[in-house]
Amino acid sequence: MIRKLHCMLRLQSGITQTLYRHRAPTILTRNYATDEANRNADDKNGNNAKRTSKSLPAVRNPFGAAQEKTKNSYLAMVEIFEERDVHRRNHVEFIYAALKHMPDFGVEHDLEVYKALINVMPKGKFIPTNVFQSEFMHYPKQQQCIIDLLEQMEDFGVMPDYEMEAMLLNVFGKKGHPLRKYWRMMYWMPKFKNLSPWPLPDQVPDDTLEVAKLAVERMCTVDLRSKVDVFETKELEDSLDDTWIVSGMSVEQSKLLKEHSPQKALYIEGPFHIWIRNRRINYFTLRADADAEFLAQLDERQLDDDDVSQIGVPFFGRAPPRRHNQLGKVRSVHQQDDGTIFAICATGTSTKDSLLSWIRLLELHGLASFDQIPVLFRFKSVVPAKAEEIAGPAVPSSDIDASLHSHKEHT
Amino acid sequence: MHCLVRQTSRLSCWLSAARIHTTAVQHTFWEREKKSGYKTKLPEPSKKQQIIDGFRDLKEEIKLWKQEVKEKLESDPILVFRPGETDVVFDFKEPDVLDKWTVTTDADHGEGKSSATLELSAAGAGLFHGEVSSQHTKDGIIKRTGYANIRTKRVRKSFKRETTYDWTQYNMLILKVRGDGRSYLINLHTEGYFDLMWNDIYHYVLYTRGGPHWQIAKIPFSKFFLSSKGRVQDRQNAIQLNCVTHFGFSVAAKKGMDGPFGLEIDYVGLEYDPSHREEFAYEMYRTPKYIAAT
Repeated sequence: MIRKLHCMLRLQSGITQTLYRHRAPTILTRNYATDEANRNADDKNGNNAKRTSKSLPAVRNPFGAAQEKTKNSYLAMVEIFEERDVHRRNHVEFIYAALKHMPDFGVEHDLEVYKALINVMPKGKFIPTNVFQSEFMHYPKQQQCIIDLLEQMEDFGVMPDYEMEAMLLNVFGKKGHPLRKYWRMMYWMPKFKNLSPWPLPDQVPDDTLEVAKLAVERMCTVDLRSKVDVFETKELEDSLDDTWIVSGMSVEQSKLLKEHSPQKALYIEGPFHIWIRNRRINYFTLRADADAEFLAQLDERQLDDDDVSQIGVPFFGRAPPRRHNQLGKVRSVHQQDDGTIFAICATGTSTKDSLLSWIRLLELHGLASFDQIPVLFRFKSVVPAKAEEIAGPAVPSSDIDASLHSHKEHT
Repeated sequence: MHCLVRQTSRLSCWLSAARIHTTAVQHTFWEREKKSGYKTKLPEPSKKQQIIDGFRDLKEEIKLWKQEVKEKLESDPILVFRPGETDVVFDFKEPDVLDKWTVTTDADHGEGKSSATLELSAAGAGLFHGEVSSQHTKDGIIKRTGYANIRTKRVRKSFKRETTYDWTQYNMLILKVRGDGRSYLINLHTEGYFDLMWNDIYHYVLYTRGGPHWQIAKIPFSKFFLSSKGRVQDRQNAIQLNCVTHFGFSVAAKKGMDGPFGLEIDYVGLEYDPSHREEFAYEMYRTPKYIAAT
């Protein structure tokens, strides 16, 4: 028993020694891989000068230092890394650095780039050869690195393809954890990709006008007869802003506006916001308070079908009595409990003047007439509140001075 | 400093015997409590206060229990499917409805900078609004943040006994909402008895149109998929509608969607649609052994 223990101890010390021996060079390289200042210090020693100049270069981030941040330069850097060395040392660190700097190069949505990064991994080396290796995550750092890469793809909504599966199979074998991640992604991502009832182009345009058009079109899907117009304020003589207005209005809304009582005011409200993927667009609505009379009338129409106390009997050649207002007005989609919506718009400047131009343009194009109806502006802007939040409560500067002086006196 | 200590301890490990492990302990399956380490310790009231509160609650609880007994004796449950009729479960027009909901964001545990509130809007509906931000303290542990969430409180019977919703006779979730063009996540929690099932949540996406018009979303329960701790599970099953414990919405600052959000909710209802025959929207084929659910 004691001999056995002794044996084990010896074995273990052997292991620790070998571990130490293996570890030693890495510690040394870490010491070498310092910045310029240390190198200068070494130069002074003279003795080490030759060795440091020949040793490994200082750790630097090629992606951070790149002058030209384009896809081509990014791929070129990956290529340089691949060809620099047969062993491709530090490729995990390289891939992590590359992943981190993807948005700077504008390649975070590009599948080709992700493939190029997976291609950095050596083929066939990380494939487990027995059950234990495959069970206990063979080469965990490398596998985790590629899992993180796939996760980043998922976050940016980039769907892998079958070529990527082949690449991953070449690197990690069919039991690899990145493969499992890949298969999950390939199961779920196509299911969610086109799920939205309001699909958007894959790359949302950068132009604000285009995004505003998308936004107004999306809001107008509530009524199929809606028409989206793009006006230029230049059409009007007395508009101050020179900008565009995207206006959405349907035939039904025009009709409602025609029927609107001139005694009741219309409100231009806003700005509200709508998100078109990651772009935010401010929009304004032209609305009036709900027509309570009309809505109440609708309620009355819902007669109790179970009431059998008064049945009109269609006997003796008489037509069956009609229920009143059966072919009357139907509530439109725009007549909501909290108001009637007549039109929606987004303008280039979101100013009061541009909204005034909007009203005039609607009149000019014959979509609406505001002869007698008062139109009021109801702005809810968060800008003043935010400004106060940033600047803090307004304190006159003289007060601050006074308090400072008193403080000095006390001390 | 901490790093240095770890480094030296590692070195000492090599030098003596490699017995002490310095890697972080990961609990892969066993959970101590339901919050998985996110439980905020609140100061407990004094014993005297607890007794007083207990007696005050007792009055209400007995009233509730009386109601339950009465309902049981009357034995008049709704058993008929009424197609096309919506039964409202969470109505924001009810008095003190806001007490039924809890709002959480990533800022609660110092992991992010999002903020959110749930209040009544001018239209008399519930307005879940705030600002989500994916910024966070770079502590090396948290990778991505930026969420806000509302959830109903755990449904209870009298004497604070936990119970579940029973929605088995419906197959559609009806939501009358007014959003801002963002997509929100609908969460149906089916918290189980064992720690493995504590984080079972069924999700589906609520796409909002945006704009001033209300929108009625009709989502079949068969579309909901199982996930746990934000990870979609490999072994899927249709939701058991008699086990629903919480209901909620989430919004995230993903894909650069940092900024304000606003979701106005009028009501959340249930409906039975006889034309919808689907039981589960996702494939149920057998997954390979040792690959799936590992």
